[in-house]
Amino acid sequence: MEATKKKSKLLEIWKARYLYILLLPLLVWLAVFCYAPMYGVLMAFKNYSAKLGVLGSPWVGLQHFKRIFITPDAMRSINNTIVISASRLLFEFPMPIIMAIMITEMPGNRTKKIYQTIFTFPHFLSWVVVANIVTNFMAQGGAINILLDNLGFEKINFLTTKPLFRPLLYITSNWKEMGWSAIIYMAAIAGIDTTLYEAAKVDGATRLKQIWHVTLPGILSTIVIMFILQVGGMMNAGFDQVFNLRNSAVKDISQILDTYVYDITFLSTPNYGFSTAVGLFKSVINFFLLFLANTVTKKISGQGMFA
Amino acid sequence: MKNPKIKKRHKWQGTEIFSVIVLTIIAILIVVPFWNAVVISLETSAAFSRKPFSWLPGEFTLANYDYLLFQNSGAMITAYKATIGITVVGTFLGMLVSVMGAYAFSRKFPGKKFFFMAMLFTMFFGGGLIPTYLLIKGMGLLDTYTILVLLGMISTYNIIIMKNGFESTPMDLQEAAMIDGANDLTVFAKIMLPLQKPLIATFSLFTAVGYWNSWYWPMLLLSSGDKTVLQLFLRSIVNALTSQEGTKNMAASGQAFQNTFSQGVKMAAVFAVMLPIMVVYPFLQKYFVKGMLVGAVKM
Repeated sequence: MEATKKKSKLLEIWKARYLYILLLPLLVWLAVFCYAPMYGVLMAFKNYSAKLGVLGSPWVGLQHFKRIFITPDAMRSINNTIVISASRLLFEFPMPIIMAIMITEMPGNRTKKIYQTIFTFPHFLSWVVVANIVTNFMAQGGAINILLDNLGFEKINFLTTKPLFRPLLYITSNWKEMGWSAIIYMAAIAGIDTTLYEAAKVDGATRLKQIWHVTLPGILSTIVIMFILQVGGMMNAGFDQVFNLRNSAVKDISQILDTYVYDITFLSTPNYGFSTAVGLFKSVINFFLLFLANTVTKKISGQGMFA
Repeated sequence: MKNPKIKKRHKWQGTEIFSVIVLTIIAILIVVPFWNAVVISLETSAAFSRKPFSWLPGEFTLANYDYLLFQNSGAMITAYKATIGITVVGTFLGMLVSVMGAYAFSRKFPGKKFFFMAMLFTMFFGGGLIPTYLLIKGMGLLDTYTILVLLGMISTYNIIIMKNGFESTPMDLQEAAMIDGANDLTVFAKIMLPLQKPLIATFSLFTAVGYWNSWYWPMLLLSSGDKTVLQLFLRSIVNALTSQEGTKNMAASGQAFQNTFSQGVKMAAVFAVMLPIMVVYPFLQKYFVKGMLVGAVKM
């Protein structure tokens, strides 16, 4: 009995042999580039020395994690990360929704297409490219300052003025990503049953009222999902953007966790254990936030992302 | 008064007028910075210093591009070649491995659930920067193009969506072929691949853009300086020119190419790096949009 069961299992495996062959390269890749580095998180609990290797280095318990809370630079970068991410929720999250509604309101399919090409294009450029375009346009000698000068205002270097740097992050991020993010909401709007609009019209609802009472409720579930994802990534405050736009003048307000880890790892004498601990700390919080956001939205709206 | 023709014409709603105005302003705000960069890159130094902002090049020249491509020890040509090579090879290999894996995951076999979970887990948890760097060092792949190809190959997210695509094709086709004696490999290559061509094309585009735009790992891994990719080249030439601006080196050294100037060369570099994407994007836009929505629906 046992033997035949084993035999049939083996037969099943043999039957699927070609599927395993197809899967193998992917599994090898995952093993090498995802699983092999995972043992490296042990470094967060060790006093890593290159000589002894990860496994041979002595354990130090939670020492690195404790150090995060007594290192002013680390605390400041945590603080900056939270402030910048929360502001992004406020200033960036609603924009694609508003834009999607406006694009659907816009008459003329041809113009709509051209506009959409313009709006979505910057998404496909790297922050290296976009940061240079932003700098060219907004720095001391850039077009914006020439305009300000002509209008009789003082010139401002937007990139090196502390109170203006964070707003610059939100504006340029919207500039680059708003159009692309709007697509998902446009698809959701297109999926709304048109008879709902007809009924609203019969009831004498204005366009604005239709948007409020039909469109927004119709895309609520999409908004919820996007919100959960955004909150789940709170600890990533946009490394690519900040890294490419930052400069020494705004260092203390632009230092986020990811740039901080980069700096302590590559720009000073590295303490691999501490760097890894900061990274691990970050992913644990992200994970927790994702879970929390999902639970809260489920309680409020009756729908979360994970069932 | 009540001419039916007039009634038929589009009656502008308040919301429509508002939308058109706001969206037009946004469109202008997106286009102008690009336009400004292109104009500067096509100007002579003299024209730029006379009038730093103009809608058309004050004095047209290709000197900035000439300097960038042919005078600057050909670094940009090297970067172009490397980026194209990495993008082509990486996209091909990455898609091959992804599509094969996605197809296997769309079928039933012992251990499927375990392997699938193992793949999903990597979306939420990774070893992080340092262990990955040490691993690459250990493999002796620091400062090689090979590692850049390898690192960008797989996106778990894309695989899940392609798996869903394969699952949505009717099983009868496959079963019929199996009865005719075809094995899984033939079914995959002869039936499933042709059926999923649009989806595969879409994700190839995303993968290719990912390779084209990647700068972080190249920055960390290409340390020797004789190897570079486009994004990295852009970063380094901008940094070099910016630090020269500080010492006024460029103006003072009396270069052979009088017409080049720091900002012009920078913008020429920006434009040269983004040009290929800019040229193909309008034609491929619908595929990108489709690809994004396929994923969104499955969420």
